[in-house]
Amino acid sequence: MAELSDKAREEFFSEAQEIIETLSRNLLSLDASIKSGASDPSLINEAFRAVHTLKGLSGLFGAVRLGALSHRLEDVLDDLRLGRIEFGQDVLDVLFAAVEAYTRILQAEKANSDDELDVEGLFTELERIGAGAAEHQSPVAEYELDPGLLAVLTEYEEHRLRANIDLQMQLYRLRVQFDLSTIDKALEEIKERAKRHGEIITYLPTGEATSADTIELDLLMASRDDLATLVGSLGADNVVIEEIPRRARRSVGAGTMPPRHQTSIGRADSVALQRELDKGGLETTSSLRSLTQTVRVDIRKLDHLMNIVGELAIVRSAFGRMAEKLRGEGQRKLAAELLRMHRNFDRRLGEMQDGILEVRMVPLGQVFDRLARVVRQISREVGKEIRLVITGAETEIDKLIVEELSDPLMHMIRNAIDHGIELGQRRVEVGKPLAGTIALNAFQKGNHVMIEVEDDGRGIDLAGLTEKAISLGKLTRNEASELSRDEVLALIFLPGLSTRELVDDVSGRGVGMDVVKTNIGKLGGVIDVHSETGIGTKMTITLPITLAIVSALMIQAGKHTLAIPLSSVSEAIAFDEAAVRMVDGREVITLRGQTLPLCRLDRLLNLEAAPDSMSRRRFVVVAALGQRRLGLVVDFLYGQEDIVIKPLGKSLADVRGFAGATELGDQRVGLVLDAASLIEEVLAGVEAPRTLERRHG
Amino acid sequence: MPRILIVEDSVSMRTFVRSALESDPRSATGIDVVEASSGFEALRLLPRGPYDLVITDINMPDINGLELISFIRKSELHRETPVLIISTQSSERDRARGLLLGANGYLTKPFSPEALQSEAWRFLSGTRAEAKPHG
Amino acid sequence: MANLTQSTASRLARRIGDRGPVREFLMFSLTGELYGVELTRIKEILSPPPITVVPRAPREVIGVCSVRGLLVTVLDLRRRLSLEERPLTRRARILLGAAESGEVIGLLVDEVRHVVRLAAGEIEAAASALGGDVAEFVMGIGRPSGEFLILLDLQAIVSG
Repeated sequence: MAELSDKAREEFFSEAQEIIETLSRNLLSLDASIKSGASDPSLINEAFRAVHTLKGLSGLFGAVRLGALSHRLEDVLDDLRLGRIEFGQDVLDVLFAAVEAYTRILQAEKANSDDELDVEGLFTELERIGAGAAEHQSPVAEYELDPGLLAVLTEYEEHRLRANIDLQMQLYRLRVQFDLSTIDKALEEIKERAKRHGEIITYLPTGEATSADTIELDLLMASRDDLATLVGSLGADNVVIEEIPRRARRSVGAGTMPPRHQTSIGRADSVALQRELDKGGLETTSSLRSLTQTVRVDIRKLDHLMNIVGELAIVRSAFGRMAEKLRGEGQRKLAAELLRMHRNFDRRLGEMQDGILEVRMVPLGQVFDRLARVVRQISREVGKEIRLVITGAETEIDKLIVEELSDPLMHMIRNAIDHGIELGQRRVEVGKPLAGTIALNAFQKGNHVMIEVEDDGRGIDLAGLTEKAISLGKLTRNEASELSRDEVLALIFLPGLSTRELVDDVSGRGVGMDVVKTNIGKLGGVIDVHSETGIGTKMTITLPITLAIVSALMIQAGKHTLAIPLSSVSEAIAFDEAAVRMVDGREVITLRGQTLPLCRLDRLLNLEAAPDSMSRRRFVVVAALGQRRLGLVVDFLYGQEDIVIKPLGKSLADVRGFAGATELGDQRVGLVLDAASLIEEVLAGVEAPRTLERRHG
Repeated sequence: MPRILIVEDSVSMRTFVRSALESDPRSATGIDVVEASSGFEALRLLPRGPYDLVITDINMPDINGLELISFIRKSELHRETPVLIISTQSSERDRARGLLLGANGYLTKPFSPEALQSEAWRFLSGTRAEAKPHG
Repeated sequence: MANLTQSTASRLARRIGDRGPVREFLMFSLTGELYGVELTRIKEILSPPPITVVPRAPREVIGVCSVRGLLVTVLDLRRRLSLEERPLTRRARILLGAAESGEVIGLLVDEVRHVVRLAAGEIEAAASALGGDVAEFVMGIGRPSGEFLILLDLQAIVSG
């Protein structure tokens, strides 16, 4: 029994997480729909179903706190969807608060912590809202609905029926024959078309079928359009549409009257619809809420698959070598065949690799949605109106990275709202629109994903920043006066310079850009900042797309074969010992007019020298990240290879400069350099104003 | 070997029910549990019966559990098949409807694996392995 | 305090004739001395594959190697126990064990001997068998057939 609970428990947390995210998206859509005046009842129902499911699951798995919140929330949502409570901004606020509470509780449940979570206030609010519910009836009997159909409507569906009757909609019954094998697509097709005309209340299998492979469904639909219109749009050979008539005032006794129209449609339209159904290629509109065929995958299984791919790559190389060997022994035909197989294998392996990588990728929209909630909350708190513009939510990035991004991004947005965006009045004074704009942009650039957080606020106060740095002892006034504009901006990444005084609710601890920078660094990324006084600030995060298989440059330094991810390499040039100069105690060379600091890898890492290294020509690999460059002096360049980076164990966690290790074939292991960390280590002296050096170019 | 069809749109609930069924000692000699994640999938899977028991949720989108029960009771193959409803405590009305439509029993969430096993085997005990033709 | 109880217990045990549960230990040699580690803790024994030195790693870490695709950190057990290091022969082996964190660690030893069985009652306390700083790695002393065996706690070694 313990085993079954463990697996199911994991799935429970995973599903609970998804449900909470779905709920959040729903609320955001509802928020938007309120503002635009439209209202989509299915959104409220979806929210209800989500909470309902979560309640049931919580009960099963003994997550008491989740269950308690779900129970109350479900009651409120039930009242909302059945029309017993008016929907409005204040109700929405409480619902958002509930989502926040959910997230906190879920984390506590996962960590098995018994921390007291203060939800009393929330519960009171929920009760307050629920107290205003009113009973709401309306005659369904006016319509000649088949009692068999009425009997199988759930409470919710009944409510939707009544609601539509209240709005004076017509009711229709669509009797549709479906092929069991294509029913999913055909259904989506009909749903899409029907949505334009009204609401489908329920689908009831009739139990009559013309053959073993078909099934007949009755769709109960409410619409303002008349029968002819519906027939024109939805009619087909396999579709029969009937209007459900209202009972005449002077109806005679019991028994239903015969339906008024029974129409099957002319050949032209039916053929057209059938062709569409055959094509089966109608795309559902892609919205964040659209249901896609998804599978939840444990990311450890993906790692395992990646390992296997990596090992297959080694096998593939063995094929190549064998082919060479055969050719060398005169077996040309066999060699050619083997080479052909090798090429085929190589191609398929590449496809598989790409396929697995794709699976690990998730859209940034996941994080952006959470952020949208935060923006809403904070803007209320500080009384500033904020317009959040998001582009590139569909940009995909490795799942592991996505998880770690929400905190740093949240801090950045918090800063933008608190310090960047001016108060409404002030904005108007300087000719800006009342609402401040925060833009979240994501896009792919080569092997990287760029995320920009931009605001149209007042920009970073350079003078104030410098003063604070001086007062904290980070640099002297003299040093400060020699800083370039970019260097002053970089001050915000020093500890203490941007920490909020108060611990805030959202993150639960003091935030600072130094923490953000460190966390982004851990993901293998960097952050740059640009700002213009009075105009705004833009922070750019550059992240590697995936941590797993990367293109790397293989090099030799001393006796070591090392790999450098190509994403950090800007170029490689021949090394001329004579061109090395010393500037402020550091070795540099000049590359196209710019100064490039050097780092001799063998010295930095205390690598054992290879016997004949002195005589050979050496190379400089220019590592670049963001705007920083470092020239690594190496002994030999092998060329490009796709490698699988395996992380070093915890016992080696303190060793700087390596991103992991990779298999080189023949069971040998090569270390993978972490360019970002090397650049940090070597250039540390240049960046911190404390040991200030003059910057060139 | 008894065949059971579970119709439920929540993955973890399905896993839970499946585990409860498969871990019961009475299923040691073999049990075939088939899962449907929606009323539609159930419609597709039902002709591949006969099943010895159908366990279904009530509140599912599009084709809800009540409609499924109604359909099952109209079909040749499953007219007599026992149907167990999974419902929530508050939806008394839906549960009542389900029983009226011909369901044979119900479980209200949350329920323990033991409760599920007990209810399920109330209907499965009468099953004889080779009784009905499959496929 | 524990030492006293343990040797009293073992004396008592021997007298009564019930030695307690029997455990198996893998015996190996380091710098001419004999050591043992509980067999169930060892995942695998292998001939050392090529080991890549990791620059700037802690002293007792020799480097990393690959075992069927798994990246393993290799510790030099002699350095871990502060023993004299003699040159390795082709009889050297790596013992694979799992740390608490789940990380697989390899221990380099001079030579692997054989498996011995010791009852709980036959394991004596080893208050001063080795220097004080490695006491945490020592589980006790065993004397299978007259040989003097220092029993090590593998878990403590790989997790330390």
